[in-house]
Amino acid sequence: MKELGKIWTWVLDVGGYHLVFNVSTIIMTLIVMGFLILFAHLATKNKSLIPSTPQIIGELFVANFWKLTVDALGEDMAKTYFPLICALFMFLWCCNVMGIIPGLEEPTKDLNTPLGLGIMGFVIAHYAGIKTKGFKKYIKEYFEPIFFMMPLNVVGELAKVVSISFRLYGNIMGGSIIILVVSYLVYDVIIPPLLYGFFGLFVGTVQAFVFTMLTLVYISVQVR
Amino acid sequence: MDITGADFIRGMALLGAGLAMGLGAIGPGVGEGFAAGKACEAIGRKPEEAGLLTRTMLVGQAVSESTGIYSLVVALLLMFVVK
Repeated sequence: MKELGKIWTWVLDVGGYHLVFNVSTIIMTLIVMGFLILFAHLATKNKSLIPSTPQIIGELFVANFWKLTVDALGEDMAKTYFPLICALFMFLWCCNVMGIIPGLEEPTKDLNTPLGLGIMGFVIAHYAGIKTKGFKKYIKEYFEPIFFMMPLNVVGELAKVVSISFRLYGNIMGGSIIILVVSYLVYDVIIPPLLYGFFGLFVGTVQAFVFTMLTLVYISVQVR
Repeated sequence: MDITGADFIRGMALLGAGLAMGLGAIGPGVGEGFAAGKACEAIGRKPEEAGLLTRTMLVGQAVSESTGIYSLVVALLLMFVVK
């Protein structure tokens, strides 16, 4: 119970800067990236009309998310933003579900990963808004309905980043803490596998989907 | 036994963590139950749309759960960060 909420760090002092690296987060993220690259390689290695197993899984991801992206953004924009959405879901799903394998822990348990992804979505959404509407119209959006609502609109935009990243972080962190505490209470008998099934697989999948969908909705709100 | 300032701060932080989690869980509980009830009604009216309704319900519940998650984050901060 002592290591509850503790993250392994590696401290480096270079040229007057105090740098702290969260080692386990970095290593786990690299493992997920390696796994995804391997999966992409296997899925596209020998494409055929009678698909292999990785190809079927890849086609399922692509077909379902293509439909959702087209519903939200329309055919033209979907071509630009579909790879982002699909890759984001696959990455987050692997990150969230990773905790059920012993010895590995979720990179999303550390706030830095969800916050980074949330800021990425924010920047991309506003870039898309400026690109489609033009800078003048984009600025004008902030002064609606009346001009002194501007600070409220700015705070509302910034709150989106906080809400989306803290939602993912809180769900994964809370789930792993509940698993730890309950495992300690029942001496690792019978109940923990069920908890891993619920918090690891179910909540992980739902939260990865919610994060992806909200990023998509933020982009489509800016584009309209 | 004297109670020092640090002990008082620690106790109040733990009390605040309990209050934050307990009060913060009311809203998501009511909201998610409401969403599930409405989804049940809709499935009763249109059983062939059950898959779509269940998916929409789950996503909506996950979004409305976020206020409870914020209170969890605040409670964790009070428990592990306030010394």
